Amino acid sequence: MPSQAMFPWLLLTASFLFTLGALGVLIRRNPLVVFMCIELMLNAVNLALVGYSSYLNSEEGQVFAFMVIVVAAAEVVVGLGLLTRVFSIGRELDVDDLDEMKQ
Amino acid sequence: MNVLLVILLILAAISALGVVFSAQTIYSALSLVLTVGLLAAVFLVLNAQFLFVVQLIVYAGAVMVLFVFIIALLDPAAEDRPRLLDLRLILGVLAVAGLCTAVFIAARNDVTYDTSCTGQAVTCMHGYTVGSLAATGDTTADPFHTFGFPQNAVDQAGNVQTVANQLFHTYVLPFEITSLLLLVAAIGAVYLTRRAAVGPKRDPQADQRWKDDLVEGPD
Repeated sequence: MPSQAMFPWLLLTASFLFTLGALGVLIRRNPLVVFMCIELMLNAVNLALVGYSSYLNSEEGQVFAFMVIVVAAAEVVVGLGLLTRVFSIGRELDVDDLDEMKQ
Repeated sequence: MNVLLVILLILAAISALGVVFSAQTIYSALSLVLTVGLLAAVFLVLNAQFLFVVQLIVYAGAVMVLFVFIIALLDPAAEDRPRLLDLRLILGVLAVAGLCTAVFIAARNDVTYDTSCTGQAVTCMHGYTVGSLAATGDTTADPFHTFGFPQNAVDQAGNVQTVANQLFHTYVLPFEITSLLLLVAAIGAVYLTRRAAVGPKRDPQADQRWKDDLVEGPD
């Protein structure tokens, strides 16, 4: 087991990955990459949960991280289904062009 | 272990940079595969063997294969790199640096947990002693083991057993609800992609009308 002095570095990496994912959602225009950045943010949250779980020597954080993984899988299924739908009606894959949800 | 953890975290951060700043979508996806794998290794180092396996199977095995498949199907064009003085990029980098600094300073200065027993062999959270069992053998001092797991139960039973015990006893209702969530997601995906399943009998004119309706709205 790593020592408890490593805990701040775990949190630092988790926050770095999370904000990097948020940055990617802001600056990238390809919806596929935006989805990947959301996955990155979810993974960062998982890292923080597992880090706290290891630090507090409690298994609950790992149970919640498991739930996050399930939600991420469901989100990817729906999101990629939406993207194939958008592509099949001939729209360009650019989030700046896809700013309306109706119709 | 500490050196291994530092190396894994640094590599994960670098490959995460590749996700955001790759011009080609497929390079982003491959960088994300690398990040996910490295985080799985971090989970293993942190004594979360169950999540290590789940992360590899669900993320690297299923989600990323789906991503690569969709990239191959849609073949998105490479994206221009954002200009260096793009306002969104500047604000985003400031946010990254700001939040990372804040979290790191908070963690280093023991803001994330109670400081009333720093300097001792064990650390505290909200006044309760954490990690004390290995040192003192006292099972009552740690309120985070609300479900009666002594701290060395992980070593005795193995991580998978302890996680399963929580998952199927304490959190059995949320666990069942996730099955509903996955069902809804599967139905939603089938509903969204149902036009692609229409066979060769489709009428091109009706298709075009349908597309026009979708893009411009019905008359």
